[in-house]
Amino acid sequence: MTVDILSSIKGAKESKAVSKLFEAIKNANTSKYSFNNLNKSAVSLEDLRDDVVINSSALEKSIIKENFPKEKKGYLVVNRVIEE
Amino acid sequence: MESQIHKIHQQLVSKEITCTSLIQEKLNALKENTHNTVNSLLDKMALELAERVDVKIESGAAIGLLEGIPFGIKDVYMVQGTYTTASSQLLKNYKSAYTATAIQKLLDAGAIPLVKENCDSFGHGSSSENTIFGAVKNATNPELVGGGSSGGSAVNVAKEHTVFSIGGDTGGSIRQPAGYNNVYGLKPTYGRISRFGLMAYASSTDCVGPIAKSIEDIRIVVNVMSGRDIKDQTTYESKIITEGSIAKNQVKSVGYFKNFIESDAINPEIKEDFLNALETIKEKGIQVKELDFFEADTLVSTYYTLAMAETASNLSRLDGTNYGNRIEGKNLKDTYSITRSENFSEETKRRIVGGNQVLSQGFSDEIYLKGLNLRDQIAANFENDFKEVDIILSPVTPNTPPKIGDSLKDPLAMYLSDAYTVGFSLGQLPTLTAPQGTSTGIQITAAKDNDEKVLQFANFLNDIL
Repeated sequence: MTVDILSSIKGAKESKAVSKLFEAIKNANTSKYSFNNLNKSAVSLEDLRDDVVINSSALEKSIIKENFPKEKKGYLVVNRVIEE
Repeated sequence: MESQIHKIHQQLVSKEITCTSLIQEKLNALKENTHNTVNSLLDKMALELAERVDVKIESGAAIGLLEGIPFGIKDVYMVQGTYTTASSQLLKNYKSAYTATAIQKLLDAGAIPLVKENCDSFGHGSSSENTIFGAVKNATNPELVGGGSSGGSAVNVAKEHTVFSIGGDTGGSIRQPAGYNNVYGLKPTYGRISRFGLMAYASSTDCVGPIAKSIEDIRIVVNVMSGRDIKDQTTYESKIITEGSIAKNQVKSVGYFKNFIESDAINPEIKEDFLNALETIKEKGIQVKELDFFEADTLVSTYYTLAMAETASNLSRLDGTNYGNRIEGKNLKDTYSITRSENFSEETKRRIVGGNQVLSQGFSDEIYLKGLNLRDQIAANFENDFKEVDIILSPVTPNTPPKIGDSLKDPLAMYLSDAYTVGFSLGQLPTLTAPQGTSTGIQITAAKDNDEKVLQFANFLNDIL
């Protein structure tokens, strides 16, 4: 798939400046190190929060409606998201 | 500089000034918008809150230290009922339905928000020129950029339009504009402050942090915002940093990366000033060590590869369905494509395309996975360094602020200008810009969760430089 379709951006092309950054990564020397997997930002399963439903406040609901100003028979009208 | 928070608190308590007059004065200054720092003013909310503080003081009740203190918010934070545009065309009319945790904590402490501040769109930039609200002008010389991406926040603090501002730092976006405008800016340890309600750029390095004119004000604000938050599960419980704990320097050794200083890319004056600062530190009996580090182009490339991959994913939701200014096309895919093409800036599009490029088959192994590997090596390098030294010092930027317009012409030069800040972001370390040492400041970094040590050493530098 081409980058314009992947990015949903018409006529998108690879940038020369960004390609230069990628070249630097390709050429960087990583052989002297092993993969240590030091990135410990992942959350442990025991630490996950409970799956609870929190009701929005009246103010929060009214602001959400403001962001979706169309209304039909008491329901918010949202944009079509499925076509095929 | 002395703490502005303590000073204003005293003035309010002793009734030397009223909160309403203070807030009105700051709003009047911001309304002029001489440096393009303002995306929207929160005048109605601010004046209502100020009146409540005045009533409380008048009634004889005690007020908290942050009650009535005016502050600014980079326009990437949700504040319920306010426009939250990320300085983008796409979200120009988007109103936040809820408030970010860090901002809510400040509101709960009584601080008064004045302004949503201009920045690079979605944090994509190092100059605050990539915005629909006009390029932010430097506080000292308006022909130069304000830095970025939290440029509006740093300039507002420097001009004293806000007492402190809350910026966001992914690869240097608090520290670099703080350096360009001669104020303090802290990127705390990743996870110290909740990111809930901060519009995501690159989630693995995004940090919330304060910009202010004194170390004491940074300390007060960071304490209020810190803590574990169930809505951001990368947060952790941190210790309060007390005034006493940062008053006396305990640091015995500092390191610096010699390749940063020996590079041809560094401005000779910044180099000389930095080396002179190291000499002064040595004279005070602190050991100064040279350290080896990755080449600047490897650091910048690793950071941008990972940040672009993450921003391509984070911004994929912005297609005009749930968020953003939708433009209808001939079918659904066309609608998404036109909406994103017309509403994203050139720099944002460049980063989304770059991100999708590295995540796609054929590229991910040799670029993205290698980038992840390099990040682990960078983190390992820091772990070893902090066995040798207590603090790492570095200039904030290799050069002085460019003229407005120059960064937009040369994106690669802009990426490379982040060479001294991105490594510490990849290491998720606490790092402070202090407006001393060089014309764009000095960067003080410690090991993870040693934010206290960073502020302690900043106090020491403030005394000796």
